[in-house]
Amino acid sequence: MRTHNFAIAALVAAAICGVTGCRKHAETAKSDPLLAAYDSEPDWNDSAKMIPLSYQQAQGKRVFYQYCVWCHADATPAGPSNRSNLTPVPPLLNDGATLNAESDEYLQNIITLGGSAMGKSAMMPPYGRALSAEEIRSVIAFTRAIAQPPYQPPGRPGSQYSAK
Amino acid sequence: MPAEEMGKVTDRMRFVFAVSSLIFLAVLAISPFKDYRREWKQYKRSYLRFAQGRPDTKRLTADYSPDIDQIWLPGMNLVDRCTTCHQGITQASLADKSVPEPFRVHPPIPHNVREWGCTICHRGQGPATEVAEAHESTLAWEQPVLPTHFIQASCGTCHQSDLPQTPQLARGRQLLAELNCQGCHKMQGIDRPAMLGPDLSSIGTKVSREWIYKWLKEPRTIVDKDGNVTVNGYETQEEPRMPKFRLTETEIRALTAFLSVQKARPFAPYKISPAVVATWSKNPELISQGELRFRQMFCSTCHSLAVTRGGETKLIGGDIAPELTKVGSKVNPGWLIAWLRDPQAYLPHTRMPRYGWSDEDLYKVTQYVTTKLVDSDLLSGVPKLDAPADAEIQLGHRLFAEKGCASCHVIEGLNPQKDFGPDLSALGGKNASELEFGTAKIPHNLVSYIQAKLEDPVSVNPAARMPQYTWNQADLDAVTTALLSMKGAPATSALQNLVVPRKEASFRATGSFAEVYERYKCYTCHKFNGYGGDLAPDLTYEGSRAQRQWLVEFLKSPQTLRPTLILRMPQFNMSDKDAATLADYLSMVMQHPAVNPAGVDAKQFTPAMATLGKQLYEVKYQCQSCHTIGGSGGYVGPNLNNAGGWLTPAWIEAWLKNPQALVPDSMEPRRNFTDEEIKALTAYLMTLRAGIQPQKTASNTRALAWGHGAGK
Repeated sequence: MRTHNFAIAALVAAAICGVTGCRKHAETAKSDPLLAAYDSEPDWNDSAKMIPLSYQQAQGKRVFYQYCVWCHADATPAGPSNRSNLTPVPPLLNDGATLNAESDEYLQNIITLGGSAMGKSAMMPPYGRALSAEEIRSVIAFTRAIAQPPYQPPGRPGSQYSAK
Repeated sequence: MPAEEMGKVTDRMRFVFAVSSLIFLAVLAISPFKDYRREWKQYKRSYLRFAQGRPDTKRLTADYSPDIDQIWLPGMNLVDRCTTCHQGITQASLADKSVPEPFRVHPPIPHNVREWGCTICHRGQGPATEVAEAHESTLAWEQPVLPTHFIQASCGTCHQSDLPQTPQLARGRQLLAELNCQGCHKMQGIDRPAMLGPDLSSIGTKVSREWIYKWLKEPRTIVDKDGNVTVNGYETQEEPRMPKFRLTETEIRALTAFLSVQKARPFAPYKISPAVVATWSKNPELISQGELRFRQMFCSTCHSLAVTRGGETKLIGGDIAPELTKVGSKVNPGWLIAWLRDPQAYLPHTRMPRYGWSDEDLYKVTQYVTTKLVDSDLLSGVPKLDAPADAEIQLGHRLFAEKGCASCHVIEGLNPQKDFGPDLSALGGKNASELEFGTAKIPHNLVSYIQAKLEDPVSVNPAARMPQYTWNQADLDAVTTALLSMKGAPATSALQNLVVPRKEASFRATGSFAEVYERYKCYTCHKFNGYGGDLAPDLTYEGSRAQRQWLVEFLKSPQTLRPTLILRMPQFNMSDKDAATLADYLSMVMQHPAVNPAGVDAKQFTPAMATLGKQLYEVKYQCQSCHTIGGSGGYVGPNLNNAGGWLTPAWIEAWLKNPQALVPDSMEPRRNFTDEEIKALTAYLMTLRAGIQPQKTASNTRALAWGHGAGK
């Protein structure tokens, strides 16, 4: 008899479970990082590799290709680059070995105020009056995205979520 | 059950009662437990735990409530509960990649997320409270979230002008227009131009029936087994504007028959002076001289040629006009001469300028084109086609309308079918249930549908009349984005008010200027008050910028001012009168309201000021990093060798004060010059003079290097 009752109980429980629905998880679609990205940029050192860009980085890419590319890349939309004309030679924008060591604040300053204000070459003009602070921030975000070797943001002190 | 036991409470009954009570209690308990375990409540709690582990807990939890959070915008008919789970979208400190989703901040965009809601851009189901229902499509709710890769489509739904922030959308709209999609489809914000494909009313005078056969079979495009696209045998990234139609042999024969008899406006043959022919026909230099003229006139600014250098073949030149590598094997030589002399007589809407030709140049260039730009194998695969029979012509005539040819190509006396293809102006807002997927094995959503249809129209509809295009992935995605942006007329008046209409650019040339302007088709490359092409400088303020005398000399003998430019202004052999007409109009009409060329008197500049200016230019501001003077300097800005003979002092002063006020997207940085520095720099620049002569620059050497390889 006992077993009979337990069988009833189990049946009822199973029915309840069935009615209320053990949550069925919808199949998650294959997530393509480029499909989730606003834009992308080929890795300058390996054009087969695409780097996904966020909205801010994509805006930086646009500003870069309009204002900065002429001296900070070896190939430009017009063909030849002005980089080889300049002494000292400006760093490539993806040159992580040079730029990763500089803080966002420093880069923001040198773009805003120009090279001479930061004790560097006066050939780097100030862009603070042609570009907004937000546009300059986005260029820095783009720089960080395409840096080789990759850029590691400094950890946020006191937070368990800061990057290791 | 025995009667005496009726009404007696047995142990067994107690037990059953106890068990069923417990079950009942458990069932009752499941409901609150289920409620507690709701997906969105779990996200609420996990956000709270996450925020408590951050140093700025107080700010992160200031708006926290354990209930459903929603953005309600009645005017837009929008209820978005997305912020129930996406709780950190306005918290600037949650930008770091280490912040787990769905708590990360929304990227800084020009719109405030709280004022606009989420689904207006991202689509998806705003009122849903479950992850799957909000993001994916179910039977009842059909708007899945738009992948971020196509999100620019949402910008385009309201912003009908192109925005600098949405390059993919702009490229897609440009492709829709360039590929003449508006020939068959109605689309939102893309107008039908005066001419789509070439007017074919007289095509029979231009090319042979065999050439038409080849073109219809493989419209310039050849896709090899690896999927690489070639044009006339040369690889290109540019899609030929004519797509491939799925035509049978009989249909091709009929169409070629019909087209080869189209001779509505026979060209007037032009006889080159016999003296010129006699002098040049035996000259061994004839062809190389022709090639030189072809190069000097800068035909390659609009037309490209395949050039082989170092074993690599690529197309060099512009993409405004057809590629010419094998044009000598295509067109009738008599037609070519007539065309070059007066293109507008054959095609009234052509963008080709009418050059001023001497008989000598015309002979040399046409001889070069018909002997060097040829391929004897071009028509080798074409079967022998006889004189067209009447029945073939009749069938071709019918097919021309039935296949939709008439939607893009004009033939005199033939009216195109109205609305040949489906109206696409609301395609971007369609639900999956409104689309015909046929037997295609693709996910049933709008993005997959659009891409499948573009890549292979018959894959979703075997009876599709749409021709076959060849896409690279970036262009396919761009066109998909542009189509997704077309959601038709806004559903509510509040949404209607959000639409930012296109700026209508119109420029009406008048008087004798209009005649010259139409002859040289200035607007193919230059912009006038927002109207025209963007290959060459915007001339809206040219009258404030350039001195009149310089304009005259430049028009008669254009030189490049920007060292990195490869495409240059063609040499039109313009008459003195035409050059004066253009220069007068530009100087008097095309002025910036704030820059009056007569406002700054050049007499005020002293040599001392110029010396100071030179020093500022070279030492303090190091302008030479971008500008060239003499033989040295950068390649970014225009060369300033002749700044004093070219620019007006008023323009230089205004420019130095604020370049972006004159040309909004100029890359020249706006500096913090003092008024004295501006005067000094202007004085210095006004001393720079150089006669018009070919300047040895990077582009010159490049252009010459390419030119040497052309046609070989």
